[in-house]
Amino acid sequence: MSEQGVPDRVSRLRMIRVLVQKDLTLFFRNRFFAFITVLGLVVWIAIFYALPKTVDEILELGIVAPDVPPSALAALEEEEEGLVVIKAGSEEALKAAMLEGDYNVGAVLPAGFMDQIAAGGKAPVKLYFTVDLPQDLHQAYVILFQEWAYLLTGEPLEVEATEEVLGVDMAGQQISLRHRMLPLLAVFLLMMETLGLASLLSGEVVTGTLHALLISPLRAVDLFAGKGVSGIGLAFIQATLLMALTGGFSQQPLLMLTALLLGALLVTGIGFLLSLTGRDMMAVMSWGLLAILVLILPALGVLLPGTVSSWVKVIPSYYLVDTVHRVMNFGAGWRDVWTNLVILLGFGLAFCGLGVVALERKLR
Amino acid sequence: MSKDAIIAENLTYRYGQLTAVDHINFAVAEGEILSFLGPNGAGKTTTVKMLTGQLRPMEGRATLLGLDVARNTEKIQAQIGVCFELTNLYEQMSAEENLVLFARLFGVRDFDAAALLQRVGLADREKDRVLSYSKGMKQRLMVARSLVNRPRILFLDEPTEGLDPVSAETIRHIILEERERGATVFLTTHDMVEADKLSDRVAFIDQGRIAALDTPHNLKQQYGKRALRAQIAGPDGTLESREIDLDEPGTAQSIGDLFEREKVVTIHSEEASLEDIFIQITGRGLVG
Repeated sequence: MSEQGVPDRVSRLRMIRVLVQKDLTLFFRNRFFAFITVLGLVVWIAIFYALPKTVDEILELGIVAPDVPPSALAALEEEEEGLVVIKAGSEEALKAAMLEGDYNVGAVLPAGFMDQIAAGGKAPVKLYFTVDLPQDLHQAYVILFQEWAYLLTGEPLEVEATEEVLGVDMAGQQISLRHRMLPLLAVFLLMMETLGLASLLSGEVVTGTLHALLISPLRAVDLFAGKGVSGIGLAFIQATLLMALTGGFSQQPLLMLTALLLGALLVTGIGFLLSLTGRDMMAVMSWGLLAILVLILPALGVLLPGTVSSWVKVIPSYYLVDTVHRVMNFGAGWRDVWTNLVILLGFGLAFCGLGVVALERKLR
Repeated sequence: MSKDAIIAENLTYRYGQLTAVDHINFAVAEGEILSFLGPNGAGKTTTVKMLTGQLRPMEGRATLLGLDVARNTEKIQAQIGVCFELTNLYEQMSAEENLVLFARLFGVRDFDAAALLQRVGLADREKDRVLSYSKGMKQRLMVARSLVNRPRILFLDEPTEGLDPVSAETIRHIILEERERGATVFLTTHDMVEADKLSDRVAFIDQGRIAALDTPHNLKQQYGKRALRAQIAGPDGTLESREIDLDEPGTAQSIGDLFEREKVVTIHSEEASLEDIFIQITGRGLVG
């Protein structure tokens, strides 16, 4: 402390540490929060490991090829291990089957296709992909047809591929269910911790303990910094444990940690706002569940591809889910997801700022 | 002459259309106990909030220890102790943990929680969670918390409201001890007996204004009357009350006559209470 007991910067940091210790003590003395913290972590990890680890190795390719002989199609199947070629009667039937989720890739080879490639011309192939098929696989199928044509003719052949992405697909077998589930679990876990923080904060407003703190040398900004550190810390540690125990750091660990930290910032801001919604834990929980329902929507889009459209980008958790999903399941790097991180940071700061302003007004 | 620890100049606060505190002026000397007496809603708590920096005055200013509260809130808050009207303790923590938390926030070195808890009579329950405390114990802990930084000014907002006699007496004892230590005490209450016992001066606050401010003795002299009240037994055994004014000429004769002619059952001096004076000045009671 400096002159007349006014705290200096070091004292302020010490005060924030004292507040964080107090919040953690109160958090874990609340049996409900302590229980769901441990239980939540155990259950989410159990769910992760209970889900299938492997993807369906059979790649089904629908094809419309009126004058391609069965032997040629068999050769196509031999080109790629696990590839099963299924003939469709017409282009329309093929597209309908894809929309039904029968297969993710369809190919239409026009009448006279065999003659064209025999003459050494370009091989016109129209390829259809379902929405959730990763972009890099599109090119893989183009290469598959090039190799097939080479096999049939013995000459390098240019395949003229026309790509079209088809609407809703519910299958999405390229990523295992447990890995699709992980962003959802992460958002859930972050939010569960935040509900605890929101409830504690709401309790402090209602019981007046926040007022008592503010009649000490503690400034409002220190108080909210302490709450922020507690909230971010609790959420971040839980999410990090989840990721560490489920192999979530196998790709770009630093990037993943950054995403989780920014996610923790976001949910802490939401927690500040939730704490204003009610006078007790039940009220906070009720509003909190509503918030969770909204925040998990982007994660459902990963879990069940095609169920949500691009409007989910207005939901802040989209940028966390998308980052976790792309980093973990597609090996995305900083360059691929930096915009997500910036937007996530923006949302986090905005929610924290709004929450602090609203809480300060309420305290006044 | 001692300096003023608290100076309120035209202090005013409004909640919407309601003027809770209306241009009040007063000063409290260092080491003095001033009681703010008034009914609920008179503006006592709002005044405390402005003096302690919780509310910014809409007009006027408050000066504590020579510093403008609005401009030096942190400096002021480091040197005052506040005991709130409503209990606001961390109930999931023990008494000791509550005190240590605030001692750390105030940066108090070598803080002795046990000694402070001993003073408020909670030494044997220091490790128990506050949740299990009675109202009186919680209030004593509230007072203890307001003392962790050895404040130069102590604000106590209705500290004995609704307490058992033992707890109330403990708190009154502590208030006097703090005054002995040199602290200035600003006490709000609507318990006129408590104010009379403890205060160097009392201020009557009504509808946001100070109606009177003086020592209890002076107020009683100014507004009260000196009288004797006797109970007299009639011939049929019924009791009758009679009052003899001590300031009238012929008082001695009246007293002599009373004892000579009547059967006096009880007799005692009658002094106006602070509540009587409050009613006399404001036209309304302290309760309600």
